Amino acid sequence: MEKLERIAQYLLDTAKEAGADNVLCVVNETETNEFNMLNGEFSLLRTMFDRSVQLSLLMDQRKGTITVNSFEKEALLKAVEDCIASAKSAEPDAAWEFDPEPRDESFTEGTLICDKERLFERTQELVDNITERHPKIMIEELYTDHRAARTVLKTSAGITSRISGGCYNMSLTYSAHEGEKGTNFYYGDTKLLSLDRPFIDCGLIEWELDAVERQLDSAPLSGKFTGTVVLAPNALADLVLGTMSWNFLSDTPLIDGTSIWKDKLGESVADEKFTLSFEPYAADVVAGGRFTEEGYRAEDFDVIREGKLISFMLSQYGANKTGGVRAGVKGYLPFPHIPAGTKTLEEIIGGIRRGVLVMRFSGGEPAPSGEFSGVAKNSFLIENGKIATALVETMISGNVADMLKNIRAISSDVLKDGYGSLPFMAFDGVTVSGK
Amino acid sequence: MLQDTISAKKYLFDPDAHTELRLQRNRERDVVLLSGDIVENSRSDVAGVSARVYRGGRYGFSSMAECSEEAAERVLRAASENAAFMNAHSPAGKPALRSITGGRIICDTINDPAQQIYTDFIRELDNYIVKHYPKLISRQLNATEDSMEKLLVVSDGVDAHTVLPRSYIYMTLTSETKAGMPVNVFRAFGGEGTFDVNFTDPAAYFPEVDKLYERLMQKREGVYADAGLKTVILSGELTGMLSHEAVGHTVEADLVLGGSVAAHMLHKQVASELVTLSDFAHTAFGERCPLPVFVDDEGTPAKDVTLIKDGILTGYMNSRETAQRFGMEPCGNARAWLFSDEPLIRMRNTAIHPGKDKLEDMIASVDDGYYLTATENGQADTTGEFMFGITMGYEIKKGKLGRAILDTTISGVAFDMLKTVDMVGDQVEWESFGFCGKKQPMPVGLGGPALRCKVLIGGR
Repeated sequence: MEKLERIAQYLLDTAKEAGADNVLCVVNETETNEFNMLNGEFSLLRTMFDRSVQLSLLMDQRKGTITVNSFEKEALLKAVEDCIASAKSAEPDAAWEFDPEPRDESFTEGTLICDKERLFERTQELVDNITERHPKIMIEELYTDHRAARTVLKTSAGITSRISGGCYNMSLTYSAHEGEKGTNFYYGDTKLLSLDRPFIDCGLIEWELDAVERQLDSAPLSGKFTGTVVLAPNALADLVLGTMSWNFLSDTPLIDGTSIWKDKLGESVADEKFTLSFEPYAADVVAGGRFTEEGYRAEDFDVIREGKLISFMLSQYGANKTGGVRAGVKGYLPFPHIPAGTKTLEEIIGGIRRGVLVMRFSGGEPAPSGEFSGVAKNSFLIENGKIATALVETMISGNVADMLKNIRAISSDVLKDGYGSLPFMAFDGVTVSGK
Repeated sequence: MLQDTISAKKYLFDPDAHTELRLQRNRERDVVLLSGDIVENSRSDVAGVSARVYRGGRYGFSSMAECSEEAAERVLRAASENAAFMNAHSPAGKPALRSITGGRIICDTINDPAQQIYTDFIRELDNYIVKHYPKLISRQLNATEDSMEKLLVVSDGVDAHTVLPRSYIYMTLTSETKAGMPVNVFRAFGGEGTFDVNFTDPAAYFPEVDKLYERLMQKREGVYADAGLKTVILSGELTGMLSHEAVGHTVEADLVLGGSVAAHMLHKQVASELVTLSDFAHTAFGERCPLPVFVDDEGTPAKDVTLIKDGILTGYMNSRETAQRFGMEPCGNARAWLFSDEPLIRMRNTAIHPGKDKLEDMIASVDDGYYLTATENGQADTTGEFMFGITMGYEIKKGKLGRAILDTTISGVAFDMLKTVDMVGDQVEWESFGFCGKKQPMPVGLGGPALRCKVLIGGR
């Protein structure tokens, strides 16, 4: 860690000497060990020793950023020189700002030491469990890894933040097969601090494997109807949270004025059952972010509370541009948390006359207005309160902003995969179309 | 240019294993102008060395963020130890890879233009947009470049020093409908080459801005597509996406082994007899491909792969290992994105071959359908079920183009949908912006002619 701090300080000093007014530097060193399985067979063991240096600086309110992966003095000097040249090529913008308040902090999470033998055993155990309990499942890809990282943030305003630790990750892609019949593929990631339990017991993996096996007997939907769509946690994140984040809440749509929520702060934008927060410090989040790209300490924060829009997801730059308030973290879905509802998934399905349960959404980029359409992958038709059949070649379309006002239910079943905590959610009034 | 610190290390290769040693630098440049403000102004230079060792059917790999001779020695040792770990814990007992004739390929060097060149160019384009189209509610211009430079030495096969630079300008213009809902249009310009070579005169792009604005004005009056199974004309850009996403991925041999629908379809009719599809290495239809590949990261010299010939599925894309499993010839499809990435089976320049139909005849032949002209993204499944986001298109009514449509999505099952192709245009259109995603990103070219076919379209 001391070596990383010395490198960061050297960059700060060099950039200041070269004329920078404010400097922010993140220096990072990692070691990753990764097992790869292809088609159910071990194929590769990778060990990567990596490092990175990210330097951002302001010079007369002109900003430049550079990333390199060398700690050599010559490379660091060139990085400063290139970053200064980049900043000089930009126009001044008074909105750029790094955290001006000094602080000194350290965080430790997980272990820097990879238990390679145990990771191999857990990986083999997952394959054995799937083979025994779900014989129709074919594993397309399986990656398990441990990533150890030491990171230092230093700024010319006197901030030093040190993060040290490591975590395990499991990424699984699979489909079900019987003779020449096959299902759509499904995938999911899980992040863990330790290997104290089998991978198959994490998240909703067992439920998902079972559901994909049941999709072997599927059929296209005939015709078109407007009904209830139940989104499983991964589909909910991709479609609803992704669209909210990119199209309504982040810097770009708010700075350029295309966000349809730009004037909705404090107003109702969703059903009052719905609360959404981003919580990097939550107990079930593994290796949550600890600082923003402008050097501010990360904070948990609410975006929507009981249907009311409480906060955008602005950076300090975005806040300065729009007259808004900086959010606690920035980025794509940084550790989302939606409080669970009271009904089980089964109870929610029991109350639906006609609809679909969607495990994965594959669609075009939703329009700035929130309009979307896409394929309901790994999905089931719901009829008269029961799962009727698995579907293929079925599309759903609607508007994400409208859907949030038409929430029928939020499940008590929740996916906790180390990245956040998300339930199943049912939305009324969505168009479902087939052949 | 990379200094060669690895060629002299060949003596360390294990004679009983297949070994690849790769030194690589990736460069990225990015300037984003959002309604006149520079909101992104970044550069990235990442370099290092990696080794991969194949023994007994298992691979070991290691990489380091250093380009020194010591780093090369260390990753060779670590990769060899990892291969040994895998063979000890999960022995496969497979034979060695078939050897490939050796050789050496050397490509050109590349420039490194200053950041000011990117900034100045898009600033001038932005000034033109502001002056001529002041009522836009938003405009976004990205000037971007990414390049790969690789030095590869292999135990058997072709050693190489290659570069693959590409640069683009992405332009997004946003207006709003009468109801006050934002709508936007997108266009990418550029291709192989560094930014200073590809973009010399901003004024040359002013007519393209005018055309994009005209499309935006059509789209703000646009209507929702009518959801359901429709006869459509796909533009060459969409045919390229179809070639890559819907067909290409299903015939990557690693995905075939993972349960792709194509596993059961080799030598069977999967498309109309009008359809021939290839993954081109570096030259297609007598011209240089958008992103040419001359050798892959396993040291295999790159050749074209014919995937569908007159509607019959004829081949897969392979690594050296999968080629051996399927009894096929490896054609240079194993590629890695960063020095720290292992080679995976990837497409290069995937396209449906042109036919004989004129676009105007194809549109005139549709009584009630759509002409779909632009897409920003697509995904496909190993079942061949695909979807593309449609960002520009028009109604066709009684053989004539009608109103523009709002953003929508099309979907289908590739090997069913390709059987509905009954007209194939005579002009090929290529695209190469963006990345293909498959564990690692990878630049690819994709293209084809206009097609008449039936697809499921989303809408209201």
